[in-house]
Amino acid sequence: MSRKLLETDGQDWVQRGIITEQQREQLLALYPTDATAIGLLPLLGSLLVGLSALSVVAANWQGLTELVRLALLLGSLCSAYAGGEYFRRRGNLNLGMGLIALGLILFGASIVLTSQLYQLIGYDLTGLLAWAVAGMGLTWLYRSRLLFLMTAVISGIVQGYNTGQLGAFSYLTAVGTALGLGYYWWRRPDALLGGVLATGLLWQAALLINFLHVKITWFFIPAMLVYTLGDWQPDRPAGRALQGPPLVAAFLFTLGLALFGESDFYAGQLRAPLVPYLAALVAVAVLSAAGKRQRGRLGSLTDWLLLLPGFYFTGGLPLAVATLVVLYAYSGAVLLRAHQEQNQDRVTLGTVLFIVTTAVAYFKLTWGFMDKSLFFLLGGLLLFGLSWLLRRRAARTFSGPSTPQQ
Amino acid sequence: MTPDVSSSIPPRPDIPAPRRRWLQWLVAAQVLFVVGVAVAGYATAALGRTLWLSTQPVDPRDLLYGDYVNLRYQINELPGGLWRGNTPPRRQQAAYVLLAPRPDGTFEATGIFPERPATNGQEAVLRGSVQTVWRRGVRLRYGLERYYVPETMSRRLSQRRPLRVQISVAPWGQARIIGLDTTARQ
Repeated sequence: MSRKLLETDGQDWVQRGIITEQQREQLLALYPTDATAIGLLPLLGSLLVGLSALSVVAANWQGLTELVRLALLLGSLCSAYAGGEYFRRRGNLNLGMGLIALGLILFGASIVLTSQLYQLIGYDLTGLLAWAVAGMGLTWLYRSRLLFLMTAVISGIVQGYNTGQLGAFSYLTAVGTALGLGYYWWRRPDALLGGVLATGLLWQAALLINFLHVKITWFFIPAMLVYTLGDWQPDRPAGRALQGPPLVAAFLFTLGLALFGESDFYAGQLRAPLVPYLAALVAVAVLSAAGKRQRGRLGSLTDWLLLLPGFYFTGGLPLAVATLVVLYAYSGAVLLRAHQEQNQDRVTLGTVLFIVTTAVAYFKLTWGFMDKSLFFLLGGLLLFGLSWLLRRRAARTFSGPSTPQQ
Repeated sequence: MTPDVSSSIPPRPDIPAPRRRWLQWLVAAQVLFVVGVAVAGYATAALGRTLWLSTQPVDPRDLLYGDYVNLRYQINELPGGLWRGNTPPRRQQAAYVLLAPRPDGTFEATGIFPERPATNGQEAVLRGSVQTVWRRGVRLRYGLERYYVPETMSRRLSQRRPLRVQISVAPWGQARIIGLDTTARQ
């Protein structure tokens, strides 16, 4: 990416006298051409060869003796790892990592196929758990994002299979994922991995809540613990990425509460025992605030607005209105902070949130009273007007730099 | 954004020697694990106690992996009166089913226990888990409900008719199907 910019604009810089021709060449030398495009062809080739071998084996699988099948599985497993290591050492990192990832997939496939070979459909999770552990070990050994991603997915599959098919929640898997991958992410902060990690952990938290048959609002305790980890992370973009999924979940939940909260039946489904729930939530919030203070980001405390437990209020419409107020406060806060920080992406996000909230509020508060055609006409006008206002505001912020407004 | 991508894969193809040794251990452990699964399957058949159960096939065919049949055993649905626990059975609870031989050679359930019960020489115990509970009975699952059929046999299984299944229960509780008898009468 950087090299491309240098190649296209470099001459121009030289002509303008910003850099000399010699400096341009030195800069170019800093960014050697990417070898990925060349590495892709052998990868595709080996993929095709592998697929054809796979189809030959699959077609004759039933005819092979047990020992041959086992030998085939283990042979391909070992050669995938050995091949991966060979290509890595020769400098072909992409192909090498691809083969090692293939080895991990083959390990899972070997466990499943061997179990089928011996008609074992056991109850214990050992086989799948071993798969996740192998993925974790490889992630740590190779420090690879691809393997991190695969391990997060495998752990999610293990937990899903365990709760869905075997009817048990594996705390070992959950804690292992959180500690193993969480510590990895903590040491090597990365935005993409933060999002993956948070999504994986939220998935397991949701499975746990479902398994325990407790009120679904308990979900937000582990979810906000994940969020809090993002507060303590010194690397800001990585921490923000980790906080994305919990915030999305909280926003959608609050939106749902605004839409359906006035039916006391739904709200009743959400009311966890008041004191323990609030105590847990406040404890996590304090932890989060301490982290924000430590890293000097107290401004993002407004995220916690979404966690206000409005569902404890009984009494229909007032609850919906109160929730809408919270949603407005949150999306308004996002917009305000985005303008202060002059962050274009956050302004877009805040605008979308604000408009969604307005649409919900309008739908909620007027659907019952208004003639339908008038409803749509006024709603459309309202949204047009709102988006025009917000865009004008954004344009003004970014045109006049260095004037921190509000 | 770009530093993330470049830092993900360090531009250093070699990993240090101690780590390479870890890698060898990790691959060896994976191979051993798969071999272990095979040995467990083999040992369950070789060392376990064999017994026959009555069952019938439901909807054969698998898209990915040749043929298998889903089997519904007589011991999959049992009357609630057989439950021997102090508290009523809950969904997804472990359950130990005591099996006693019938005159025709198959085994039938004589009790469902929340803990492993003691047996006399004739009886056997199969571990399962409670799937559903209703007023009159419970549905259990044993992990024996699927049989991967050799290709030659699948055509004979296509009709829904009763079968006898030979299973082997290892002393450590693991159970697996050994074979199918398609000539059984009701």
